[in-house]
Amino acid sequence: MNSKEVVIGVSTALLLVVLVAVVLLGGTAHTPSSEIRPLAKFYLENCLNVFDRTWWTASPEAVTSMLWDYRGIDTYYETSVFFLAIIGAVALFRVVEVKLKAEENERRESGLSIIVKSSTRIIFPLILVVSASVAFHGHLTPGGGFQAGSILAVGPLLLIAAFSRRYLEEHLRFSRDKFLVLRSVGLILIVLVIALPLAAGAVLMLNQPKPWLPAYIFPVAFDPVWTSGTLFFFNVAEFLAVGAGFTLLFLLLSIPEEEFKRVLGI
Amino acid sequence: MLGISMATFVLSITALALTLGALFTYLAIKSKDLIKAAIFSAGQSAAFALAFFLLMAPDIVLAYVAVAVGIYTVVLLYVISKTERYEEG
Repeated sequence: MNSKEVVIGVSTALLLVVLVAVVLLGGTAHTPSSEIRPLAKFYLENCLNVFDRTWWTASPEAVTSMLWDYRGIDTYYETSVFFLAIIGAVALFRVVEVKLKAEENERRESGLSIIVKSSTRIIFPLILVVSASVAFHGHLTPGGGFQAGSILAVGPLLLIAAFSRRYLEEHLRFSRDKFLVLRSVGLILIVLVIALPLAAGAVLMLNQPKPWLPAYIFPVAFDPVWTSGTLFFFNVAEFLAVGAGFTLLFLLLSIPEEEFKRVLGI
Repeated sequence: MLGISMATFVLSITALALTLGALFTYLAIKSKDLIKAAIFSAGQSAAFALAFFLLMAPDIVLAYVAVAVGIYTVVLLYVISKTERYEEG
């Protein structure tokens, strides 16, 4: 350890101490208190308020209630931004339409060692189960569509790293078009659930009935499954859209460089 | 419990996790071996995930762990495989 590193270490520690002192002495003017603020109080009191159902979302999960009910349009736009990003990636990679299996004389990619492959075989189904449970319980426990979708996408990514892209295409029959369809199904489902209340003359993305709107009842439970109205369907659709979108992105990114050069004729 | 309240205890662990994160960040910046730097970066994300969990944000933890520890690290490793493993200078 030379003197330069000592100086860096001491000055970093000093910076931390000074910052903490400034915050403790009230230098930031407002330090969030440990008491619950009025807005948070509103969400906590109303998201599962069975006595006064004016503002309720039929879900004990305040975060999912906010994401898909109180500020649902926001989340819809977030989903469309993600959709556009994937569209951009697909458009960039449009030059490589050729299937890898068409190449006969190319060396077969063998992937990583047997230890990595065996542990991936054990972990992969676990990732799928965890992501499904996060998605299907998103309206009851922490989690939701986006979280579950990104957990799901880790699975194929692990397979690409441990085995190879060719393995996914030949043995698991993964293809770009399949994931495009799957992602579109998720998005169409979201749009359908958003538009459903319009049929009864109510407003877009309405979850539970409001007294000032025309009567529109979406059941809070499909016996025996409690779905919190539309929240469950939004979560599952978002799960499909995000999971398939990320997987599609990884499939495109893992196209070997040689393939590009061959197709582009460089 | 030794005269320490639960909130103080939780905040102490959070401070510890964040310090660990700062340490990992320093190591990631200093490391000349890019593979090691990516692993340190994943360690930093894991420390931050613990801090998020202790600050009662389980929704963030679920997305953060999957993206920052899983996807981000693997994509970084993939990018490193396209270039050289060791940083020069």
